[in-house]
Amino acid sequence: MLELTDVHAGYGHVAALRGVSLAVREGEIVALLGANGAGKSTTLRLISGLVHPTQGEATFAGRPLRRLPPEAIIRLGIAHVPEGRRVFPGLTVRENMRLGAAIRRDTSGIAADMDRMFALFPDLARLRGALGWTLSGGQQQMLAIARGLMARPRLLLMDEPSLGLAPILVQSVFRTIEQINRELGTTVLLVEQNASMALRVAARGYVLETGRVALEGAAGELLRNPEVREAYLGGRGADRDAVDRSRAH
Amino acid sequence: MGRGRSGAAAVALGLALVAALPFAVTTRYGTNLLILAAAWSISTLGLTVLLGYTGQISLAQATFFGIGAYAVALGTSRWGIDWWLALPIGLAAAGAAGVVLGMTTLKLGGHYLAMVTICFQIIFSQIAINWVAVTGGPDGISGIRRPRFLVPLDTAQQYAWFALGALFLVGVAVWLLKDSALGRSMRAVRENELAAEALGVDSLRVKVTAFALSAVIAALGGALYASGFRYISPDTFSLDQSIEVLAMVLAGGSEAVPGSILGGFLLTFLPEWLRDLKNIYLVVYGAVIILVILFMPEGLWGWARLAGRRLARPAPPRRARRPLAVGGRGEAGEPILALENLGKHFGGLKAVDGVDLTVRRGEIHALIGPNGSGKTTCINLISGLYRPSFGGIRFLGREVAGVRPNRIARRGMARTFQNIRLFRELTVWENVLVGAQRAGGGERAVRERAAAALEFVGLPARAHERCRNLPYGTQKLVEIARALAGTPELLLLDEPAAGLNQTEKQELVDLLRRLHAHGLTMLLVEHDMSLVNQLSEAITVLNFGKKISEGKPGDVLADPVVVEAYLGNRDAALGLAREHA
Amino acid sequence: MAVVGQLAFTGLAIGGVYALIALGIVLIYRATNVVNFAQGEFCMLGAYALVFLWQGAGLDYFLAGAVALVLMAVLGLLFALGLYYPLRNRSFLPVIIATIGASIMFQNGALAVFGPSPEKVRPVIEAGPTGGVTLGGVFFDYQYVVILGVTLVLVVTQYAFFEYTLLGKKMQATSQDKDMARLLGIPVTLMIALTFVYSTVLGGLAGMLVGPIYFVTHKMGAVLGLKAFAVTIAGGFGDVRGAVVGGLSLGVIETFGAAYVSVAYKDAFAFLLLLVFLLIRPQGIFGEKVAEKA
Repeated sequence: MLELTDVHAGYGHVAALRGVSLAVREGEIVALLGANGAGKSTTLRLISGLVHPTQGEATFAGRPLRRLPPEAIIRLGIAHVPEGRRVFPGLTVRENMRLGAAIRRDTSGIAADMDRMFALFPDLARLRGALGWTLSGGQQQMLAIARGLMARPRLLLMDEPSLGLAPILVQSVFRTIEQINRELGTTVLLVEQNASMALRVAARGYVLETGRVALEGAAGELLRNPEVREAYLGGRGADRDAVDRSRAH
Repeated sequence: MGRGRSGAAAVALGLALVAALPFAVTTRYGTNLLILAAAWSISTLGLTVLLGYTGQISLAQATFFGIGAYAVALGTSRWGIDWWLALPIGLAAAGAAGVVLGMTTLKLGGHYLAMVTICFQIIFSQIAINWVAVTGGPDGISGIRRPRFLVPLDTAQQYAWFALGALFLVGVAVWLLKDSALGRSMRAVRENELAAEALGVDSLRVKVTAFALSAVIAALGGALYASGFRYISPDTFSLDQSIEVLAMVLAGGSEAVPGSILGGFLLTFLPEWLRDLKNIYLVVYGAVIILVILFMPEGLWGWARLAGRRLARPAPPRRARRPLAVGGRGEAGEPILALENLGKHFGGLKAVDGVDLTVRRGEIHALIGPNGSGKTTCINLISGLYRPSFGGIRFLGREVAGVRPNRIARRGMARTFQNIRLFRELTVWENVLVGAQRAGGGERAVRERAAAALEFVGLPARAHERCRNLPYGTQKLVEIARALAGTPELLLLDEPAAGLNQTEKQELVDLLRRLHAHGLTMLLVEHDMSLVNQLSEAITVLNFGKKISEGKPGDVLADPVVVEAYLGNRDAALGLAREHA
Repeated sequence: MAVVGQLAFTGLAIGGVYALIALGIVLIYRATNVVNFAQGEFCMLGAYALVFLWQGAGLDYFLAGAVALVLMAVLGLLFALGLYYPLRNRSFLPVIIATIGASIMFQNGALAVFGPSPEKVRPVIEAGPTGGVTLGGVFFDYQYVVILGVTLVLVVTQYAFFEYTLLGKKMQATSQDKDMARLLGIPVTLMIALTFVYSTVLGGLAGMLVGPIYFVTHKMGAVLGLKAFAVTIAGGFGDVRGAVVGGLSLGVIETFGAAYVSVAYKDAFAFLLLLVFLLIRPQGIFGEKVAEKA
């Protein structure tokens, strides 16, 4: 469904992605892992159109994404839930969610989806008239996810949903991710620092390191692979052999 | 410096113009215009100092022009004192008013500052118009005397020389200011006030000084104007004129002395040349401001200079006589930085929640932790950018919690920033010079240290390039050189490896190792664990604002608590898996 | 007592004008973080547009007013595309200066086209010998009544628009988080253009309403604009309530001040107010703390 081939991208002089290739198949949850600064967020921003590739190609359902702006990409069916939740602080829960469907015109469909979201996130139903800034971190995360889903996306990009949340809330967020994948059939590309949790819900995973894919494989294997830990804490920086070894999996 | 040769040529040209112009212009009308242009150009030079160098917007320049004018007017025509006594009174009054206005920058900047200056200007206008007893109200003051300078300056031509001469002197002074320590500090404040503070520049003092200087300079212009035309009235000192001065500075080029003078002359002569089309001219004038902002932000002079850039190639800085003396004095191993139960809350968010940490002299100490763990907040607390909510920070034995960043810096702390905070429009050399200023001493000592710092990081060849043109990796090196040039006792490095490729990271490791060998103490925030592993002797790990582990790299990086912090809780994850098995 | 009532009524009416202009400033600021120093000139241009269409072109007064508003809308669009859009990524200083440049251009353009002598414009309601009605000792000038009425209607309509329409919500979202709005597919550039158009129309309308009271000159926008700034800062930069409350308050303070303290320094009250707020409480009445520079 989504394919990145040897993508390079950066901000001004800084190269953030130095040749990333990955694929996400329909209906999967795929985890994109790596230490801070590895390029995970940049990868998502590239897919959603906030950043453009300097080299390489990204395609969605066979269609190249080229230099499409975010307004066009969401209309293709890709929704991005960015890092830091970014709920509109001065708007209510209901209004935030309604704006998630900004590109849609079918009012009855939107209303039906809104009810569905409230059923899926009972906490939000309770808070539907509350302003965005009054919600707690966990509630804001739920709202951000619900808002993302209101566009009925085929692919949902999630950037560090567990950031800054207490462990209990983290569990509930991941449970939700599994649920939407199972019940709504939404494909999810999930960026996380919290590798364990991400790999429990994902089917497959990629580990980025300084802008390249250092490891990839089935989630279960990655969970057991000690090299994942090294990618975060051991620094396999100049160790090219290790990179090649992992590719052979 | 390197501008020696072209500078001398410019000075000679300026002198020649001062001498020749009053001869060349033969009509009385033309000579008066020269005087007018000279007076306004001096005012423009004041704005060069304030806006061009220091980056502060002011729409009150006409107020200070007016203070100088009224001082001389009242002094010579009402109170019967000599011009040469009335002038310093006017300058002092303007300077004081400038200080008052400058003090408002303590709390305000940007739009608010613009508004304050507008208010100031309008209140002055209102007083000038309404306080008839003193200012003569809308009728103004006439019969203003001229000063005696070698001869009584009775003819227009003589006065024109006087005024142009004054303009020349002010021009030279403002030009020399640019490369002085104060001038560099001003430009640093303009480029990046936060970084300037962290390098020991007292940004408030610099801004107030800039306001005061620009006021005094403008007052001089006003005094020359008043005596030149022997009559003043309030509508010469209104908001419209302040805006005109701003336009002059922008059209000519705000950072360069010749540019401002060019702008001043141009916008004085242009309306006269186009007098028949006067109304249209003013429309064009407004359009010119917009066009200059859009397409020529550096003004006519800046545009011309781009062409002439090749001509003036400054010489590289002289080699340092002594190598850089980093490392400070004192016993190796003694604690130089101690965080005691340090905490910072932002509203409900506990960014740092009771952290104890000690950095010993001579060691490389790493501070790590997952995203949002409070590392950068710690660095900002230590360097004084934030005030702690509770707890203490002792640096070299003295409490620094809540002390202003520039004072902490001057006690011997230096830092780099996560997203580079170089003074982008300044050259590498100028950036490092600002860093070197922190340790005091005369200009020569400052240059010595700067040269030594550049050599240490290997950048003397690129000294005169503007930072914004440098590649990313080089910019990071410049930031380090700038921090080193003040010979700090403690260097804080905030993610120095972020964005670097493998080769650059290796060079960074080598550099930091060399600094370590010289005895410099470093506190390093990093995400790249291989770097941390290779360099640090001690690691402190934060998570959710609290310290969760501390010790030697080998121990800490294998500590299960740390692994969990980064990779997540395996048991919780297992729980999730079991539910959905 | 009647005097107090008279002053209060007049003050509120003038305050209504300030509120309308201030609203324009606040809305542009919220959407784009730009402080539009040319807002006062929009008033002036609106008034002149009315004069030109009504007197010069001989159109019916109300038709002239409507066409003038349309012209203002077009101006707002040009302003957004020609001035804001090219500078949208630059720091605040070039933008402030550019809007000042625009203000100079407009002022002197009006001078060039219409000349320096003040123009007179008829009030909206021309009825009765005095142009107003006296109740309980207070003279209610119809024009002032119209101003208050228009202000009320506009504020209510605007509130309803932002609270209850989808477009209003989209515009609010754009103000609060531009990038997030883009990610949701909201056409941010269009939202911003609409904001400029609306603010320009507001300014023009304020100018047309105040024209009959003060005469229309090329300078009328300067002082009006500055006073509106005083209002936005005192009310809290970026706060709509602040603009309205601040505007009405300034009108009242000014009118009472002129009557009881000094007529000559009447204009100074606004700037004194502004200075006091800037020095003591820059965030104004409703605003949040002026952001830390970190």
